[in-house]
Amino acid sequence: MSADRLQGSGERSRQQLLDRFVEREDAQAPERRLVVSADELADATRVLLETGGHFVGTFVMCEPELELRVLVALRGELLVLEALLGEERTYPAISAVTPGAFLPERELHDLSGIVPLGHPELEPALRPDADRLTRRVVGDQTFVIPYGPVRSGVFEAIQFPIDTGGEDVLSLSVRPYFKRRGLEQRFAGLSVDHGAYLAERIAGISTVAHGLAYSQAVERLSGVEAPPLAQRWRVIHAELERVANHLDVGIKLAEDAALSVGVARFGSLKEQVMRLRARLCGSRFGRGVVAPGGVRSQPLVSAGEVLRFIDDFEKDLRRDRGLLLGTTSFIDRLVGSGRLDAETIVSLGGVGPIARACSLGIDARLERPYGAYPHLGFTIARATTGDAMARFDVRLQEIDQSIHLMRQALERLDRLPSDLHVPLAATADGEACGWTEAPSGELVYCLRVEGQTVREAHIATPSLRNWPLLSASYRGDVLTDVSFIEHSFGLTPAEADR
Amino acid sequence: MSIVLAIGYVGLAASVLAAALSPRLAAAGVAAASGLIGAVGISSAAAYGTASVSIGSWLGFGQASFVSDRLAGIFLAATGVVGAAVSVALVERGSSKLVAALHALILLAICAVIGTDQAFVFLLAWETITLSIYLLGAADRDRPGALVAGYFASGMSKLGGAALLAAFGLLYAKTGSFELNAWAHHAAQLGSARDAAFILFVIAFGTKLGLIPFQGPLPGLYAAAPGLSAATVSIAFNAAFYGLWRLVFSTLAPAPLWWGELLVSIGALTALIGILYAVTQDEMKRFLGFSSVEHGGIATLGLGVALVGQAAHLPELAAAGLLAATLHVLMHCVAKALAFVAADRVSAATDTEDIRPLGGLGSALPLTAAGFGVAVLTLAAMPFFGGFVSEWLTFMAMLQAFRVNDTIAELVLALGGAFLALTAGIALLAFAKLFGGIFLGRARETIRVVRERRLAFGLGALTTLAFAVGPIAPWEIRWLGHGLEGVLGFNLGPHAVTFPLVLGPVYQGFSVLSPTWDAAGITTFALTAALLVRVLLRPRVRRAPVWVSGSAAPIADVQYTPDAYANPIRVVLAGLYGFDRTIERRRDEQGKEMAIVRTRVVPAFEDYLYRPVSNGAVLIATQARRLQSGRLGNYILYVLAVVLAVLALIPALNR
Amino acid sequence: MLAWLFRGLRHGVVTTRYPRRPEAPPPGFRGRVVASAAGGPELEELCPTGAIRVADDGRVVIDRGKCILCGACAEAKPEVFVLVSDYETASRRRAGLVAAADGRATVGELRASLGEQSGTLRRSTHIRHVDTGSDGAEEWEIQALTNPYYDMQRLGFFFTLSPRHADVLLVTGGVTPSMREPLLRAFEAMPEPRAVVAVGTDACSGGFSAAAGEVAGGVDEVLPVDVYVPGSPPAPIAILHGLLLATGVLTREAAA
Repeated sequence: MSADRLQGSGERSRQQLLDRFVEREDAQAPERRLVVSADELADATRVLLETGGHFVGTFVMCEPELELRVLVALRGELLVLEALLGEERTYPAISAVTPGAFLPERELHDLSGIVPLGHPELEPALRPDADRLTRRVVGDQTFVIPYGPVRSGVFEAIQFPIDTGGEDVLSLSVRPYFKRRGLEQRFAGLSVDHGAYLAERIAGISTVAHGLAYSQAVERLSGVEAPPLAQRWRVIHAELERVANHLDVGIKLAEDAALSVGVARFGSLKEQVMRLRARLCGSRFGRGVVAPGGVRSQPLVSAGEVLRFIDDFEKDLRRDRGLLLGTTSFIDRLVGSGRLDAETIVSLGGVGPIARACSLGIDARLERPYGAYPHLGFTIARATTGDAMARFDVRLQEIDQSIHLMRQALERLDRLPSDLHVPLAATADGEACGWTEAPSGELVYCLRVEGQTVREAHIATPSLRNWPLLSASYRGDVLTDVSFIEHSFGLTPAEADR
Repeated sequence: MSIVLAIGYVGLAASVLAAALSPRLAAAGVAAASGLIGAVGISSAAAYGTASVSIGSWLGFGQASFVSDRLAGIFLAATGVVGAAVSVALVERGSSKLVAALHALILLAICAVIGTDQAFVFLLAWETITLSIYLLGAADRDRPGALVAGYFASGMSKLGGAALLAAFGLLYAKTGSFELNAWAHHAAQLGSARDAAFILFVIAFGTKLGLIPFQGPLPGLYAAAPGLSAATVSIAFNAAFYGLWRLVFSTLAPAPLWWGELLVSIGALTALIGILYAVTQDEMKRFLGFSSVEHGGIATLGLGVALVGQAAHLPELAAAGLLAATLHVLMHCVAKALAFVAADRVSAATDTEDIRPLGGLGSALPLTAAGFGVAVLTLAAMPFFGGFVSEWLTFMAMLQAFRVNDTIAELVLALGGAFLALTAGIALLAFAKLFGGIFLGRARETIRVVRERRLAFGLGALTTLAFAVGPIAPWEIRWLGHGLEGVLGFNLGPHAVTFPLVLGPVYQGFSVLSPTWDAAGITTFALTAALLVRVLLRPRVRRAPVWVSGSAAPIADVQYTPDAYANPIRVVLAGLYGFDRTIERRRDEQGKEMAIVRTRVVPAFEDYLYRPVSNGAVLIATQARRLQSGRLGNYILYVLAVVLAVLALIPALNR
Repeated sequence: MLAWLFRGLRHGVVTTRYPRRPEAPPPGFRGRVVASAAGGPELEELCPTGAIRVADDGRVVIDRGKCILCGACAEAKPEVFVLVSDYETASRRRAGLVAAADGRATVGELRASLGEQSGTLRRSTHIRHVDTGSDGAEEWEIQALTNPYYDMQRLGFFFTLSPRHADVLLVTGGVTPSMREPLLRAFEAMPEPRAVVAVGTDACSGGFSAAAGEVAGGVDEVLPVDVYVPGSPPAPIAILHGLLLATGVLTREAAA
């Protein structure tokens, strides 16, 4: 993927930036690269954000030289700013422009030693010590509850130091990276095919989304597209995964509210979905389905059976959902808790159902459609109040949309050509990005491949982008609301920590 | 008996003087003398005869003597026994000469108030208590807030003293005598002056007890009193209670219904407000001060029920109320003195009065923890401890409201019961916070603990007394039955204590309680269980660190603070408290964003009652000062004006 | 509230009868990889996590503790490698996961442990879960054990939040450096008798993360593991199988 180079500096280059990438009418490829100098990186990012973009991620490419990358999504395009680092290995921090870069810049500093100048809190992030907490609030009547890393329930490991006066939450911080497995580094040296297996296991509950983003990056490098039948099955697996994730949020919220039958009902619904996925491909999580070039094998269940399942499932879901939304003791806990507003989400770079719950229409399936989505119709789920109830409502709407999408995808599958896989180009070297809308938001993979081997991989995960929103969402809530708000976010530490 | 009484009084007086020589000697003398007086009190209340010591008429207002009759005996017993134990603690602790002298003086004055049969001596002794309390409060001048606390307390007591003087003057004017017994005989003559006297007495004794709206100075006073003197000051409650019992219930009888209703209302409000403010306190002695306010309210509540019974011609109801109130006075006296003695030991060991930096001291200060624990359990009214017995009796007395044929009285009693229930609930929380914040949990690294004082006889005596006072309730009630027979007209002992060791609220068949069997049962089960576990199961014990979500962050940051314990109630009742929190956001040394929180509870009474009143008084005084212009001409003018006024008045009066 | 009651009753009983009656996985379910033929050293390259080892005599040995059930080997060499559907893949010893043939905990052992369990007073086993670096899927499968399809509470298993009340420590994921101390503290806070169950391939051997260098290996690098449940992730029935094996461990320890 070739990149344009920015000529000159200062006002001229800013104008060039705007001319070339912002005011352009003809959009050729949804991914576009631009080379800037390391000093101009922060400015260029600011210009792009001011014209309506949202920050996606930043990382360091280590080979052949140390290069910075900043990803910004702007009006249906993914803009990748590339910057070569000089001898000093410093650059003006992106965090000064957008708070969403706070965690990614700490991460890249830990990994490579590069110093982002002007970063508000450049402390080691990647191997957090459970015993050293930073108190954000001191004074009368405050202490900090170290909620985590071992939490109260069957949950993933993450620590939330809660500064509290006893019942009221004064501040809730998020300390991720307890589960850092170093899997991004593990990509190096894997074959393109084996890389798909690793991508599936970055975040177990978003297996298909990760596999899909990875495969699309590889396919983009190869210049191929998966065959239509494979794309349809990819959509079906991805939407089944979305449904399972959203049902899981329902289970957790019902459990917090101590609605045992609600927990059991939603648990049953989710179990039915997982069992369908196991019948379809042999894995309850859809592992081993998506591969670069298409899907690996025929589904083990016919389209008709899947349609019948969806019909029964929809009826059951409708009744259970109606009951749940009619239980005032449940709704009361969600309405008004953890309210976020659109400006905070935009400034921190939030995505997914959390953003859509504040009427922000951010969805990668519609902004940069991929796979079969351009041929399928659906509406973005939206809510306006931005509290936990809105986030849950958005998820319920998305389940309906997923069912609608699956029905469309299963339509007349026999009319499509039956190949499931296209071969990849023998030499497909270079750097490319792939993206999907994972259940918790937009997911972007950036790969550098050399001769059928993955050299480097960097992932901008929705969970990491959304974690800072959790701190911002506590305003006047009390300790008992913590689990409701956290579960309404529906994020997974494994995906954020990688 | 009379001789022993005389020795007691003389001993107390001598100890005051002995303090100039050696504080410890004085305290020992006080211990002995108080013990004697206590013994006399116990025996006179048990109807073994009245002791009396005559002091002649050298004070100039008629014959006066110190008499320990049945009612006075009860209060003398409480004062004497508890005073002796506190004095023993004072001997062990040591103190300054002033404090020792004042300790002896206060006890002497209290015994004088209780023992005297003459109004003037009563007043003299009362004012002596006030003076001594002021001197104690202001003794430690370097302590911030001590002088103000002293002034405030003495100002309030002056108000009470004035009310007392006015009441005595009124009664003297109506009956022509200063003898308390004479007033009792001539109660019928008093007419409308009775109501006025009642109000004045309530003001007088209410200022000492801390009844609403006079409770302001009390917590500050306790906080300011140095060392053990807070315990001594708490014994002064007995004098105020005795005043109410003797002068209101007995002398001014029979009471109209509204007296009882008023006292029930005041008592209930006092109890609730006392405990609501106690929950928010972080200083030990201030907390205990508010708790004293609360318990003063509860005892007043019981007295109110007794007055209602008196007015409604239900002697059993009167007995139920008075029994509950008297028992409460006794329990509280013991438990509060114990609490103050233990609190003093804690602050001596840790050099702080604030409980916020404390925690986990249970293993470092085991004796103190045991004593404090028994006091807390009694004050929080936990079953089989004395506090539970008296509060249960108070509840039972209030539940008899249906026997009174007056709607308002029933309503007031019912509401009083509701308030008391709320108070009891919050009291549990408050005392759990106090005890837990000091002794439980893990020790914070910031506090350095000195080893606790080995000598703990005073503490031990009070602890034993507080511990036993619940299980031996049946015998106490029998003793009280004799003691209260004089004012009630019958012995409530056989009515209240039925079946062996089972108590009831004087009305038979209503409800029963047996702290004795409770205590026996609980201790037996506990010991048996412990024995079984040790002998049969033989568990291997392995100690592991406290589980905090897998983190081992520093305790000072992570441990639940005592005020966090009370935080939910402050948040829920923020409207009542005027919860005021300021959060200041700034960056610390490393540039990280920090927030600093400051909270305070709006002191409603100070802001909306005391300050305006004192401001008004100062305003009036400032205006009045104008009269003192210093100009000779003005003074001559005043003299002329007065002469003319007198000249005009005399003919008018002679007509 | 009544509506919830009727809703729950309407669906009848869907709970599995396992372990009294065997539960068969759906056809095509990925339970284990079996090597049905011999081969050369080039077969070892097929596995992304290095679970295949070819012995000198050509015997192919599959380490189930490292196998992530990706199916790469079966896709490349279907004549040698076969994906077999099976739930009962747990083992009490790490070595039990490495076998040339069809090695797994025998049904007889399981029956015996069940017999022991019903014979003792222990009818309730409390489980504390600690995540030390999983990918999130194992947590879903463990949580699924409380849904009506599996209902582990009918077998006397309960989740507990305090390690002081726990009998079994369920660990998912290879142990990352930050989670090492918390895991040790959780183990130390448990009273004896106690058992440790490693759930998932990452917990058995570290999986992909071990090669990345962040994670030293499986849980047995830090704690003594009593039962290994391989799988990526293991199905709920497989986890239940592992828990039942752990309970056998518990009753044996308590009697000692």
